[in-house]
Amino acid sequence: MAMTELFEKYDTPARTWDEMYDAREVREPYHGIYEFLRTISREELGHQEELARRLFMSQGITFTVYSSGEGIEKIFPFDIIPRIITARDWQHIESGIKQRLKALNLFLKDVYSNQFILKDNIVPFEVIYSCPHYLREMQNVPVPHDIYIHIAGIDLIRDADGTLYVLEDNLRTPSGVSYMIENREVTKRIFPALIPQNKVRPVTLYPHLLLKNLMALSPRPIANPSVVLLTPGMYNSAYFEHTTLARLMGIELVEGSDLVVDNHHVFTKTTAGLQPVDVIYRRVDDNFLDPLVFNPDSVLGVSGILSAYRKGNVAIVNSPGNGVADDKAIYTYVPEMIRYYLNEEPILKNVPTYQLTNADELEYVFQNIDRMVIKRTNESGGYGMLMGHVASESEIIEYKARIREDPRQFIAQPIISLSTSPCYIDGRIQPRRVDLRPFALTGPEGIEIVPGGLTRVALREGSLVVNSSQGGGSKDTWVLSH
Amino acid sequence: MLSRVADSLYWMSRYMERTDCMLRMLKVNYASSQDVVQDFTWNSIIRIFTYLNDDEVDELAKSSRDVLSYIITSRENHNSVYNNIVKARENARSVQDNVTVELWQCLNDFYHLIREPRIERSLREGDPVSVLDTLIRHGMLYYGIVEYTMFRGVGLSFMNLGKYLERSLQSTDILDIKFSDLSYDLDKPADTAYWKYLLLSISGYALYLKSYRSGFEARNVIDQILFNVSFPRSLAYSMSLLQRNFERLRSSSNEQSFEHIQFMIGKLYSRVKYSNVHSITTIGLHQYLKEVHDELHAVGQSLNKHYFAYS
Repeated sequence: MAMTELFEKYDTPARTWDEMYDAREVREPYHGIYEFLRTISREELGHQEELARRLFMSQGITFTVYSSGEGIEKIFPFDIIPRIITARDWQHIESGIKQRLKALNLFLKDVYSNQFILKDNIVPFEVIYSCPHYLREMQNVPVPHDIYIHIAGIDLIRDADGTLYVLEDNLRTPSGVSYMIENREVTKRIFPALIPQNKVRPVTLYPHLLLKNLMALSPRPIANPSVVLLTPGMYNSAYFEHTTLARLMGIELVEGSDLVVDNHHVFTKTTAGLQPVDVIYRRVDDNFLDPLVFNPDSVLGVSGILSAYRKGNVAIVNSPGNGVADDKAIYTYVPEMIRYYLNEEPILKNVPTYQLTNADELEYVFQNIDRMVIKRTNESGGYGMLMGHVASESEIIEYKARIREDPRQFIAQPIISLSTSPCYIDGRIQPRRVDLRPFALTGPEGIEIVPGGLTRVALREGSLVVNSSQGGGSKDTWVLSH
Repeated sequence: MLSRVADSLYWMSRYMERTDCMLRMLKVNYASSQDVVQDFTWNSIIRIFTYLNDDEVDELAKSSRDVLSYIITSRENHNSVYNNIVKARENARSVQDNVTVELWQCLNDFYHLIREPRIERSLREGDPVSVLDTLIRHGMLYYGIVEYTMFRGVGLSFMNLGKYLERSLQSTDILDIKFSDLSYDLDKPADTAYWKYLLLSISGYALYLKSYRSGFEARNVIDQILFNVSFPRSLAYSMSLLQRNFERLRSSSNEQSFEHIQFMIGKLYSRVKYSNVHSITTIGLHQYLKEVHDELHAVGQSLNKHYFAYS
């Protein structure tokens, strides 16, 4: 195929899977978008990019940066070229995530009740009890329908040979789903007709599925339970997501100060007095949820809310205490969990992970540190990582010292060469590293995954870190129906 | 409705009403500053819309462009149009799930519009009327979107309470300040243009010509701004809508709170309804306006206490 000016110098890094190119050939699912990009000029594509920017700005899909006392609105970087997932890959992803979540949910039920998996020596006691996200307050609490993980965002990456790996399970308050929805809306505007032509599966059902699940959790058996979304407030960087979800589900968006607990029941403060609340979809972390139980200085949560939950008077989504299942040290045990609880072989692979509490593995990691990424077990958002191949000598020495001090706080993984996807950057199409976060919803009727997800992209050339806090952006993600 | 949400809707609406009123006043007074009007001064406008002291008012009043820039785009002036729009938008932002997408986008676009450097540049160097027209038109878009898309319900009632309370206050204050220029002497002969510009600035000129055949007289101007129920900016009209919108809250209110404020609004509305120009001149125009102003504020404070208190 002839190269157009847009595709000049599309050099994929060595030993890397490119989502669009297979050696020199364009992969079959990308033919539609490739043909379209061949016919469009650089100027037109530039206009479309500008249109996308204006749409995000006008809808207020922004976060605010405060400088010199004045708020400046910024949009999260969006790359206009969609990322495509074939129907076959999606089937594999879907069944893999369902299997994984089933096991993880059973694990949470188990560690907060009988602890069979610990007594059978599959997962060591120390790993659980040294995890700061393990909540003793959740032990033996009856959880509605035994569902702990109502909403999960599972991060997937693709290695050089095309194999998909689970990089991380996000089981607390995963964010990004509003970008899955809004990115699609913007793509419809900037590339008219391409979506139906390519038979892309829709993502619009997500809020309806979520609302259906939330309503099903109501402790009062009534037709129209009161469901609210609890946000930390306007200054939270995900505030846009909270308002979008509340609006799309038609539920009330509340802040901690809008709620009050009286005699173990939760109420909203309204113009007509106190009104009962049945279900809370909270986007506030465990630590800030209830100042009586957790951080006493927090004003984001509601005093007494956990006792109302323990009494079964209100449902909280996701369940408190889920952090023990997405801790990076516990991640290593997920394949074993799948075998233990389900008697199945894992469909999706884990990235090989070294436990630094094991002296042999620690030694191996230190010997090969230039090929390792070292992560803190309880950090997210790409903070506190060491990328061995780019770190300086002194950084490595300092990091090693910290690991020796408290090896439980760290894990190591071989650096995976994330797959690349074409991006429109500085007037050219260039390859950049991507991951994929599909969102799974668990309700009384089972697990559902909306066909799509958030593709995060490391916009800096050569970067392997896709987190938005580290210069990452996002793409629309197309799951094809054939 | 959540108290916090009611509070935000009420204030969003008050800030937008204030914005509209300010822009219209500025437009007409700017026109008047370009005309040969007897003793034109910006002083009264500055006193209504800013918190400056007398010396600062005199200093600012020397230049029309400085006045416009200070009242419209200034970041430091807490009551500038810019800051009103920022606050209206912040309020809307925190209740996006209770307003329509169109309404939120309208305020968001308004915010991005007034931040554009060309607005400040045109006020400083270009044609200020074009800027004012652009901003006024965007405000009209807001009113249209509210009317056309907002769900009928408690939320809209709180927005209307904010709107008509603010409008009542604005009309009362404008009349007070304009007559203070004349030392409240109703028989003092004023330039016809003085009344014409006052009426134009509150979009009441055409109606005045139709309603009062005896030319420009202070008493007729007072009658129109306070008591003419055909005039949408009059105190009587605004009060009647304030009352009507408050009545709509009955079923979603705490009974005691409702009755308390219903009494306050009813009493004030009766007072306005059963006054006329003759009766208020006997107690003094300024005294009357001041009492109305204070009672309107008391209504606002009671709403705060009985409906919006949540933290």
